[in-house]
Amino acid sequence: MPEMTPRERVKRFFKREPIDTMPVFSGMGMVTIQAIDKMGIRFAEVHGSPDYLADSASTSSDIYGFDSVVVPYDMCTIPEAMGRGCTVYADAEGILYPTVPSKWDNYESIEIDPDYAAKARMPVVEDAFKKLIADGKYAVGSWVLGPFTLGGQVFELDVLLKGIKKEKEKVEGFMEKMTDVVIDVAKRYQALGTDYITIREMGSGTDLLSPRMWKQLIQPYLRKIFAELESPKILHICGGTDLIVDLMNDCGADALSFDQKNTLAETRKKIGDEVILLGNFDPYGTFCTMDASEVEGVIKGCIDAGVDAVWPGCDLWPEVKKENVEMWVKTVRKYGIRPTPAVGRV
Amino acid sequence: MVSEERRKEILDNLSEGVVEYEEDRVVEYATAALEEGLDPFDAIMNGLAAGMEIVGDLYDRQEYFVPEILMCADALYKGLDILKPHLKKDSNGAGKPKGQVVIGTVQGDVHDIGKNLIKMMFDVGGFTVHDLGRDVPLEKFAEEQLRTDSEIVALSAMMTTTMMGMKKVIAMIKEKNPDVAIMLGGAPVTKDVAKLFGADGYAESAGNAVQEAIKMIGQLRKLGEEAAQN
Repeated sequence: MPEMTPRERVKRFFKREPIDTMPVFSGMGMVTIQAIDKMGIRFAEVHGSPDYLADSASTSSDIYGFDSVVVPYDMCTIPEAMGRGCTVYADAEGILYPTVPSKWDNYESIEIDPDYAAKARMPVVEDAFKKLIADGKYAVGSWVLGPFTLGGQVFELDVLLKGIKKEKEKVEGFMEKMTDVVIDVAKRYQALGTDYITIREMGSGTDLLSPRMWKQLIQPYLRKIFAELESPKILHICGGTDLIVDLMNDCGADALSFDQKNTLAETRKKIGDEVILLGNFDPYGTFCTMDASEVEGVIKGCIDAGVDAVWPGCDLWPEVKKENVEMWVKTVRKYGIRPTPAVGRV
Repeated sequence: MVSEERRKEILDNLSEGVVEYEEDRVVEYATAALEEGLDPFDAIMNGLAAGMEIVGDLYDRQEYFVPEILMCADALYKGLDILKPHLKKDSNGAGKPKGQVVIGTVQGDVHDIGKNLIKMMFDVGGFTVHDLGRDVPLEKFAEEQLRTDSEIVALSAMMTTTMMGMKKVIAMIKEKNPDVAIMLGGAPVTKDVAKLFGADGYAESAGNAVQEAIKMIGQLRKLGEEAAQN
């Protein structure tokens, strides 16, 4: 029987103090369509209102018994504040996440408004955090894209990738700018009192970059970011990560999060038992297409591979099957009473 | 008529120019190919495309990654832009347009690297490509397929969150024209998803897209060689 509050459990988890049972949570969006429907709103509306953001997050956790709430749900808040715009697809049928419609395509045109943190939806997100923190029921998770991934949101990615070889100094200057923004925003979220922060350098896996390039282009900036931030701080990368787990572990994060492409059991062997590992199931496949009877095997597989908490590999796709998400929670509660490699039990 | 020795030299330089992403070298030898009377189809398939096949091997061996592939693709296009307008319609029977393809990244997704690599494959293969770009409204794919009577529609989505749109596009197109071949591409797309959505083929990532594209280029090269022999 759980004895701790969700917030207490998550806070102790990241301090690697004994907990009663494994928390059910994530570092990425966990909003569900069941919460959106219960609120009587459309998904496109949720991103622009602090109340909708906060209420949809806490309603999702109320419905399923999650231990945390995480906002925002889209990756456009900072790019939009930088003047790159945001398409919310208000008239689209079904769920579409906002996107950035215009990107810089040359380094000379990049101009970051020094007052960007007060622009567009940045205050909306901060107000949502304030509401969730004041509520106090759940651990409040925040996240910021890593500098390379954020860069890909505001700058044409193919130009950036080619620039790594052709215009190294310009790329490094750009990465410095993005790094400063990431640190600035992450510190703002931490200053508000969020309980943990995930740096999502999602687009930097070895599907795109070689390990050597990752070490040169990604790691120095992540090290700078993690050196500036308070704990708990998590590094999440999706896609191919098997070849860079050691490099990821050398960035200064307290915990590492992977998606389903990581061979978690091998990662655990490489990294050892001291570091908190999070992951690593496919949220779309597991919650949206799979039969509920198969979910327990997926979740138990993550625990058996050596994670300390079973995180989805990405944001939940909101149109989850209710019984599948319930099975995630049930399975974690069933098998999560045992200690994991990095976190003991009371 | 260019000598066999000179032909080999030009083709090797085109191929190596692509592999080493040396755009100037590709431009120089593509121009030389035209000036010296080398069949542009030969130059494309056995120079540029052959180089891209080597790039595929380097990617498989994890010596090249996406940044290198993008630069190789840029070099390839430098040569293709010079050579393609001079393709003879009856050149080995292989310079004929292979068909038409509508390609784009579905609404809600602004990532287009994988899409552009697949587009390259169709360009090299001699297809007429109708590129709708990125963040394309779903109904636009069906409209463009009908307008152009294209045989293939290629859809790309990098995120799970936009992949669902593909299913709707496939239904729209297949309802009006069940014979259209539909290819899906993107990180979240698996064989099972492609099957579930009713697609005819798939490639799962930008890197995988390049592998698939290069395999198809290899097939086209073989077809060209067979046509030349017959």
